[in-house]
Formats: sequence, C-alpha cells, structure tokens
Amino acid sequence: MLAALLCAWQLLPATGLVPELFLPALSKTLAVLFSDWKIYGVALLVTLGEVVLAMVIACGGGIACGAVVGGFSLLRTIFLPIFSSLYAIPIVILYPVLTAWLGVGPQSKVVFAGVYAFFPVMLSTAAGIRTIDPQYLLVARSMGASLTQQVMRVIIPAALPTVFTGLRLGGALAIIGVVVAEMLTAAAGIGYLVTLNRTILDSPRVFAALLMILVLSVAYDMLARRLEARLLKWVPQRQSPMGPRTGLNTATTATAA
Amino acid sequence: MENDVTSGPSRDYALQTKGLTHIYRGVQGEVQALSDINLVVEAGKFVVIVGPSGCGKTSLLMMMAGLRQQTSGELLCLGRPMDKPDPSRVGVVFQEASLYPWLTATENVAFPLSIRGDDKAASRQRAREMLALVGLNGFEERFPHELSGGMKQRVSIARGLAQDPPVLLMDEPFAALDEQTRMTMGHELLRIWSTTSKTVVFITHSLTEAVYLADEVYVMSARPGRLIDHVEVNLPRPRTYEMMATEQFGMLRERIWQQIRMGH
Repeated sequence: MLAALLCAWQLLPATGLVPELFLPALSKTLAVLFSDWKIYGVALLVTLGEVVLAMVIACGGGIACGAVVGGFSLLRTIFLPIFSSLYAIPIVILYPVLTAWLGVGPQSKVVFAGVYAFFPVMLSTAAGIRTIDPQYLLVARSMGASLTQQVMRVIIPAALPTVFTGLRLGGALAIIGVVVAEMLTAAAGIGYLVTLNRTILDSPRVFAALLMILVLSVAYDMLARRLEARLLKWVPQRQSPMGPRTGLNTATTATAA
Repeated sequence: MENDVTSGPSRDYALQTKGLTHIYRGVQGEVQALSDINLVVEAGKFVVIVGPSGCGKTSLLMMMAGLRQQTSGELLCLGRPMDKPDPSRVGVVFQEASLYPWLTATENVAFPLSIRGDDKAASRQRAREMLALVGLNGFEERFPHELSGGMKQRVSIARGLAQDPPVLLMDEPFAALDEQTRMTMGHELLRIWSTTSKTVVFITHSLTEAVYLADEVYVMSARPGRLIDHVEVNLPRPRTYEMMATEQFGMLRERIWQQIRMGH
C-alpha cells in the first residue's frame, strides 16, 4: 500500500499526466531534502520544540483542569457545558490576536497550539474521572484506604484509559496547531517553509516540508501507541477512537488547513 | 422475635446491634430504610440475613462494614462501634466482584495488604495462598476480564480473606451468577469457611441459599426493614446437596417463605 503510493508519487509526474508544479516526483523531493538538510533540520527542530511545549501546556493544564472539573460535581455542572461549547469554536480565530500580543516568534505558536490541544485533554480527563465506577471507591474505603490512596491507587488508574484517549488526540492537535500557525504567520519552522516555498512556486521544497510533517505525525502516533500499549495492557481489546491511520489524518488535515 | 439480646457489650459476640435504625434523606424526603434492628452474631457462626429486594439488607451490611452510619441505635463489632471501616476487624465481599480491572488476580488480592502498607513480597505470597485456598491455582497473573464470573467472585472472596479479618461480610456475592455456578460457589464457600474459623454474615434473597449455608437465618420484612424471624438451621455439617431434598430442609425453607410472604 505504502510502496504503491510511493511508486505512484515517483512515476505519475514522469508520465506528464500531472504537471510537476502540482506534484513533483518523489526523487526530486528527496533530493531537496538532502541538499537543503540544514534548513529543513533547523526548521524541524523549531517545530518540534514548539510542539513539545504546546503538548506540555495542553497536557498539564488539561489534566489539572479536567481533574478539578470532573472531580467536583458543582464545578462540573457549571464548567463542563462551557468548555464543551468552547471546544466547538474554531480556535484558529484566536491566532491573529495571539500574534499581536506575543509576536511572530515561537511564543504565539506554543500558546495557540497549547490552547487548541487543551480541550480534548481537559474534556476526556473530566469524563474519565466522572465515569469511575463508585463501587471501586467503596471497595477501597472498606479496606481503610486514605483519600490519597484512593486517588493514587484507584482514581488515577481507573481514569487513565479515557485520559489517554484525550492525550493522543491532544498531541495530534498540538502538531496541527503549530504547523497551521507557522503557515499563517511565522519566520521559522516547517509550516513556514511550506508557505514560503509555495509563494515562490517551488513545489519540490513545498512537498519536502509536507513529507517532514507527515513523518512527524506518524512518528508521534507510533510513540503514543507504544506508550498506550505499555501503560494500558490490562484493557481488553482496546478500540482506538481515532482509527488506525491517525498520523495520515493529522497530516492531511494539516495540509488542508 | 425470639432472640434475646443480652444487655451490655460482649466480646463473645462478633456483631451486636441494638435498636439500629437508618433513615435516608433523599430528594423525596426521608425514607426509613431500617427500623429497630436487634441482632447478635456469635463468633465463628455463619449467619444469613434474608429478605425481599429493597428491604435494607445492604444498608445493614454497609453499617456493619463501617461504610455507612446509623441514624440511631447501637452497632458493636467485637465489642467496639464501627464508626469507620476497619479492615482489621471486618472484610467485605461485594455483590459485583468489584475487582480492579488494571490489576491481576494476585494484585487484586494483595491490594488490601498494600493499602495497609505490608511488605510487597509478603503480600504477594499471602495473595497466592489465598488464591490457592479459593481454588484458583494457575490463574494468579490473569486480569479480571480473563476470568469467568464465578472465578472473579472467588478472587473477591480471596481478597476479603487476605487481611485475615475475624468477620467477613458478604453482600449477595453470588447474585450475578447462574444457578449452577451459584450452588457450586455456595458449597465452596462452606469449605473455605470451615478451614478459616471466620464469622460470616451473608446477605441473600435466595431462600435455598440461606438454608443451605446458614447456622442461623435472620428474616427481614419489606421496607422499612425489620427483623421478623430468627431461624436456627440445625442441619448437620458438612452440608451436602442431598440435604436440599430432605423434609427438614423443606420445612425450614417454607417457614422463612411464610414469614417473608406475610411480611409483618
């Protein structure tokens, strides 16, 4: 499947069916990556750094807020509807404001992607804590478990599968967020290279950047899967909520955006 | 009520209640769940509490476990009140096996020991012994979703016994099992009980199960739950399945059924 795709990528432009401007051959794209590896390497590091920081913001803030909102029924009834509605807003409208406040440097990208990825993490954490079987806590109390023990030994492991679903989605959104932000307004990063080379109609360089985003997304997805398989080996026949091709979906959404 | 509750706490009684009452304050006002419960459970006995659904049996058990507090009256376990859960006195086996799905069978059984702060290796050793006692050799490293309903309940019993509490409370532990598994599990429970010298308070709504398992049966009325009969089951031990066909078994079962049916 993958091989066929790569073959098509190489052969289609050669036949002249597809103009090279729309789809440069795979070999040309790779050649650019080799000759300009320094530029692309630096851009990848910039993007990667922003993505990691955004993930830290999203995961830290999302888990903390989700735990508080999910754990207390009063806060839940007040905040959960608000957050659920906010999630539906295309947060990209915030980005121009953020660049005005924080400049075109990495800060605006990190904050934007962090906010973007915050919602799924926060909502799934809240859901994970809210849906814990109360019987689990009753059992722990009958054994004389302290509040700390109940949190550490019961609530956290019980909520973990749901939280993890949010973390995976959040991580993917952080990548999308950073790349989109870089494409809109930036002076560095992979997304910036896409926009820059597109304006000068240098398609091999555009596709080289797209290829790197694709690899980044797939690598992230594989990493998340590994981690999940290790941490959640007790979950029976775990169904992935994002389907088997998360990386590709992420990349196509990023390119489309 | 023919049972005479002697005045004053006694250490011979594993459990003793006096005028125990429980009132829920729900959305629709106050609901009296239990009314004036007076009972004694002698140490080492297998006592069954039987009654119709919703009669407050579980409320009573939760109070015995220290998981719920009475509205009025007194409850003593080994001579002391149960104002909070105390696993050194009371172990609880719940209706759903309520195992933690992220822990293996051994880890589930060792869980109460680790809550207590026991040494990890010793806890695991103890857990394995308990699993052997309930007949689960070879299933130590299975996760709950890899076990059948009966096996899960065996793990749950092993977990209740792990801390070696003198009193074991069981809240309809076999209610979710099919009839055959249920009979086998009852028989198994008697075997385990006979090797451990625990006091067992067992809640059920099955009359057959009640007579088959018990030394004594307390019969409860529908809500508000009151004790309406106390039946001594003097069938010999060890109990056998054949006993269920005897006249004596049938008469005991019939007497309890009459009481529940009249419900006063």
